[in-house]
Amino acid sequence: MPLKIRKRDDPWKWGALVVFLGALLFSLAISGLLLAGQGKDALEGLYVLWQGSFGNLWALEGALLKAIPLFLCSLGVAIAFRMQIWNIGAEGQFALGAIGATWMALLFPDLPGIILLPLMFVMAFLFGGFWAFIPAFLKLKLRVNEIISTLMLNYIAILLLDFLVFGVWKDPASFGFPMTPEFTSGAVIPHIGESRVHWGILFCTVVGIGLWAFMRYTRLGFELQASGQGSRVAKYAKIRYGMLVMLVMTLSGGFAGWAGCVETSAVLNRLQPSLMVGYGYTAIVVAWLARLEPLNIAFASFLLAALRVGVENLQLELQIPASFGVIMEGMILLTVLAGQFFLTYKLERKHRS
Amino acid sequence: MPELKFVRPIHIRPLPEGTQPVVSLKNVTKRFGKIIANDSITLDIYPGRIKALLGENGAGKSTMMSLLAGRYPPDEGVIEIDGNPMKFSSSKDAITAGIGMVYQHFMLVDSMTVAENVLLGQEGSFFINPKEMMKRVGDLAETYGLDIDPAAHISDLSMGERQLVEILKLLYRESRILIFDEPTAVLTPEETSKLFEALWRMSEQGKSIIFISHKLEEVIALADEIAILRHGKIEGEFDTNAIESKSDLASRMVGKEVLLEVNREPAQICEPVLEIRHLTGLGLTDINFRVRKGEVVAIVGVAGNGQKALIEAVTGLCKPPVDTVFIMQKPWRKFFAESTWNRSMCYIPEDRMGLATLRNQNMVDNLLLTTRKGFSKGPWLNKKRAEKDTLALIKKYDIRPGRIHALAWQLSGGNLQKAVLARELYREPRLIIAEQPTQGLDVSATEEVWSRLLEARGMAGILLVTGDLNEALQLADHIAVMYRGRILGMLPTSDKETPGKIGPLMAGVID
Repeated sequence: MPLKIRKRDDPWKWGALVVFLGALLFSLAISGLLLAGQGKDALEGLYVLWQGSFGNLWALEGALLKAIPLFLCSLGVAIAFRMQIWNIGAEGQFALGAIGATWMALLFPDLPGIILLPLMFVMAFLFGGFWAFIPAFLKLKLRVNEIISTLMLNYIAILLLDFLVFGVWKDPASFGFPMTPEFTSGAVIPHIGESRVHWGILFCTVVGIGLWAFMRYTRLGFELQASGQGSRVAKYAKIRYGMLVMLVMTLSGGFAGWAGCVETSAVLNRLQPSLMVGYGYTAIVVAWLARLEPLNIAFASFLLAALRVGVENLQLELQIPASFGVIMEGMILLTVLAGQFFLTYKLERKHRS
Repeated sequence: MPELKFVRPIHIRPLPEGTQPVVSLKNVTKRFGKIIANDSITLDIYPGRIKALLGENGAGKSTMMSLLAGRYPPDEGVIEIDGNPMKFSSSKDAITAGIGMVYQHFMLVDSMTVAENVLLGQEGSFFINPKEMMKRVGDLAETYGLDIDPAAHISDLSMGERQLVEILKLLYRESRILIFDEPTAVLTPEETSKLFEALWRMSEQGKSIIFISHKLEEVIALADEIAILRHGKIEGEFDTNAIESKSDLASRMVGKEVLLEVNREPAQICEPVLEIRHLTGLGLTDINFRVRKGEVVAIVGVAGNGQKALIEAVTGLCKPPVDTVFIMQKPWRKFFAESTWNRSMCYIPEDRMGLATLRNQNMVDNLLLTTRKGFSKGPWLNKKRAEKDTLALIKKYDIRPGRIHALAWQLSGGNLQKAVLARELYREPRLIIAEQPTQGLDVSATEEVWSRLLEARGMAGILLVTGDLNEALQLADHIAVMYRGRILGMLPTSDKETPGKIGPLMAGVID
């Protein structure tokens, strides 16, 4: 039967949800095929994946823990993307945030948490924000493409982190391992009750709601969204585009910096190279999956975090290569993005006229 | 700018008796929604002849070429090649039939050589000997007298040379009909003369050439035959040597007859809101005029004669020289530094979708785009009030669909323009810059826009930039004719002789 592509007259109300779920199912089906291709039982594999990500409390806690830095990085990336500024540097800004927070933790080990933790958060924001401000400044003054500069700054940031933990900040008692001394209790974000989850999740909620309100109810938030149409529209509407680019990049980097701070303080309790596991890159996937909406970002970061935890389980139980998780992540993103075609177009049966 | 002098090497040869056209369009019609882009066009193109298609922006030239190039099929009518009716289902079919097109934006791989670009995507063996490739392309260039080094990299070439590469690509494919879409827009005068020589040589070798342009003198210098396209119809077709005068051509291009009339009551003229004094630069030469509150001043001219630069200098999209532009009696810089969201200047641009509205956002956000300062209190934005006012404007201007949550891209051209107009008039402007405000609109929307603009004279002075002569005559008190960055005349519309004077001035003829 011949089909015809036609542009939709009205937006498809539940389209985004249908496309997302459809894409998810599609990528799970392909994953099942990949598993089968490796001689594993596909259904069992998917069951193990489910068990490992949502099946028990331990798994859920693990997913939630990983979702926290992912959420913060992704929020940052998303506001920059909203303005069509392509910040690929959340990874580096995350590292810089961790460095800033660690600096405070090592400088004032004896301060009580109520003073030290805010200090760490402020410094993490400033460091991360500064790291993102550099490409914004270069973009505006020298027309340097921000995709390249943010990406390159990631490598510099990671090397800087290595330089510090291998050098001046190395714990003398670490038997030569590259890591700082363990943080004092004032520098550690406490856990919620008996669970593994820490209070950073409350911080995420506040930041998420704050950003949502900022975008929706403030003039600056509106100007930021309007500038997403390009600098010419901004100029037409008398919006100060350059100023906004710098502001947005600083915010974006600051959020990633906070993620670095939370992860160092609450999960590792010290700075060490194993901090860098690619949250900054996954955040880009999350932001696109969520179509840059804060609430969706919360769901998407939880989903991808759960996927990570689940794939770890799959790896253990079925001896699947570690790259399997990355393949699935990429597949989900690609199918969701491809599926968005159906939000603007629909397929119709061809009529004979 | 130096005057262009084109010397045609040979005179127009008469077509031998009984020559069959290579391409014939027969009653070809193409609609986009309600708008008829091409209205039963009938046109013959002969081998060895250069046919110029002359028309204003939006006259339907590009649509017609896209039909020929197989980009989309006509709704009615047939395209015949060598007398056989053809149905192109893709641009590939058109290429096979021998139709080749040079677009305004070149499609070349910058890091490859000329020869590589020419052979790119051609059928033939997978491996090609580089030497053989250079030789073949070099020979081809020589045959048609195109001066280009096949080993040069595209990134090292000028715009004119890149265009030659595009032409070589078509020649290599043995295209018999070559279509050029405003090819001189990116060229210097010298490059233009070179291109013309190449075109003449190709036509002597039997190629048919279609040359799309709105530049009169180029068309007269180059073409064997001219067809004028206006509002999607062929307005006239004649041999170049049968043309009596340039001004005749100009008036035929923009049209004379009154299509639509509005009743323009005179308004009270008050203080000047825009003054331009000795503005030179940005491609403009010594522009002087003023617009007073209560009057409409229209700028007319063939597109590309400096209207864009003038608008950009006034609206703040680019900076004019110091002390040339005065808005509301303040120098430009001072005005923009102190400008408020309302009771100031507003701009209704030609590019409604790309510049004046946020495509993917709703009517409320689109209202806020230029009025946001009126709805903010401290850092906050009062969206409730914006929604209420949006709804009121939608009702007042009858903008469809009548929902505040409709997104800008869902609106038709007329409704979008009404929305922009509603928003800009909501700001109670003192100076309105309206650029092609009714282009692409149907009759009722045009009437509505016109009467709203005339009504706005009560609070503002209006600078109307238009390619539609009738619009200028209907709305304006004075008409300024622009030609090559100059204003050649400021004519009062109250004068009965004005309509007759505009055509010659648009063609640059001053008696």
